[in-house]
Amino acid sequence: MPVLKVYLVALAQTTLALILAPGLVGLIRWFKARLQNRSGAPAWQPYLELRKLFAKEVVVSRSASWLFRAVPFVVFASTVAVAFLVPMLAVPLPFDSVGDLLVVVYLLLLGTFFLALAGLDPGSAFGGMGSSREMTVAALSEPTVALAIFALALSAGSTNLGQIVARTMADPATAVSPGYLLAFGALFVVTLAENGRLPVDNPATHLELTMIHEAMILEYSGRYLALIEWAAWLKVLLFFSLLGNLFVPWGVATALTPGALCWAGTTLLAKLVALAVVLAVFETRVAKLRLFRVPELLAVSFVLAVLAITVSFLAR
Amino acid sequence: MDFAFGQLAVLGSSLVLLCGLTLLWRRGSAAHIGAFAAQSVALAATVGLIAGFTGSRELWIVAALFLGLKGIVMPILLKRMERRFGRPRELDPYVNTATSLVIGGLLVVLAYIVIWPILDVSRLPTRAGMPLAMGLIFVSLFVIISRKKALTQVIGFLALENGIALLAALGTYGIPFIVEVGVFLDALMGFLVMQIVIYRIQETFESIDVEQLNRLSQ
Repeated sequence: MPVLKVYLVALAQTTLALILAPGLVGLIRWFKARLQNRSGAPAWQPYLELRKLFAKEVVVSRSASWLFRAVPFVVFASTVAVAFLVPMLAVPLPFDSVGDLLVVVYLLLLGTFFLALAGLDPGSAFGGMGSSREMTVAALSEPTVALAIFALALSAGSTNLGQIVARTMADPATAVSPGYLLAFGALFVVTLAENGRLPVDNPATHLELTMIHEAMILEYSGRYLALIEWAAWLKVLLFFSLLGNLFVPWGVATALTPGALCWAGTTLLAKLVALAVVLAVFETRVAKLRLFRVPELLAVSFVLAVLAITVSFLAR
Repeated sequence: MDFAFGQLAVLGSSLVLLCGLTLLWRRGSAAHIGAFAAQSVALAATVGLIAGFTGSRELWIVAALFLGLKGIVMPILLKRMERRFGRPRELDPYVNTATSLVIGGLLVVLAYIVIWPILDVSRLPTRAGMPLAMGLIFVSLFVIISRKKALTQVIGFLALENGIALLAALGTYGIPFIVEVGVFLDALMGFLVMQIVIYRIQETFESIDVEQLNRLSQ
């Protein structure tokens, strides 16, 4: 019975992530609108968008191959698989034995890779540009994700995300150590780059010549677009949960009692809202970088991650 | 208590180092001056933390000096200088930004290797910050040799001075007051002299690109 319960919690966590993801993105948009003196769409707008897209018919270019139809499912499935591995409500997770942080990084990269293929497939000029840019950004940001989490893994002695969280909770002083803070900075910059947020890509429009994410999905419509958008929103939520739970793990349940799980849910919501506010303020403050400056920003986050590893490895 | 103090000191030192790395990242002079001001404030806070922990009155004075002169007066002087030269023209550095950031990271790793033997000997709770201070010294030297604009080089020199002061504070809880003030005044004089030299460069070449100085030998 307890085994079943553990898996039920994992399933509940993933479902919760899927349900919350559109709301989180809607909340970020609403905060941004308020900060920019606009009234803004309500936070539940993305749910309505999803409903609309799922009801619409799919239009596929005649030159597109089977790949084009398969990609939305691959992207969505790989992101959902990551949701099983990221500690959100309770540790240790039952799927900890299946995959650690390396699996998380490569599952995310798998989605990115297939999305880039889908951008190239219909042969439109925009899609190709988007794919080439996305791969440039991904090649520079994926190592940083791994390095930043490795810095935490070094002090926890395990690459298992659940273990890292449990270790940080057992030893709270490590959470203010410089290695952790540097890694947090690195992961935050990468979160912006991976999710196509403002200094790297503009999530609000597809009318810019320098767009990245929007350029790749320009050819999609209907339920395919809905799946891809949902996966992208889920990715934002997953990165936020990583930022929130790896670096400020308090609130994550270590025992599967209803009270602890409720408390874990509440703290998770609080962390997500806090990060949404931070992101909205940040995106309102900065201007989009020129594309050729993006590698410099990613170099900054890479150096931060290297320093985080150096500090936590050499100064033990 | 000791542990928390050590962590906070290392945290302060990493902030000081990060401001140093900002010099490599940003291009505008205004950003450089802001980074230097923030660095000096972080340095003053770290020295103040050590002063509070050891109860040394001299260190409090040093911290106040850093905050007042380096955190407030020098940035104002630098800003005035920048304004005098009109809009800061962007000069391409000798090494591009992404590469210099990676080199900066490697220099910090080098600093860890250099400081390693001292870390074994030292028993102070602040010792873990010493490699970061050494790293800042290396990074500042790299700023001085890889950037062309005279103003950036001056800021690099001032950051170097910050690194030395931080290393002294972390490694020995502050050198004797008279030496500290001596070094400090030395740097201040250096800064003033450099300011005059930069004015001269600007007047002669109508630019503060130090590459122009090569023309003097022709």
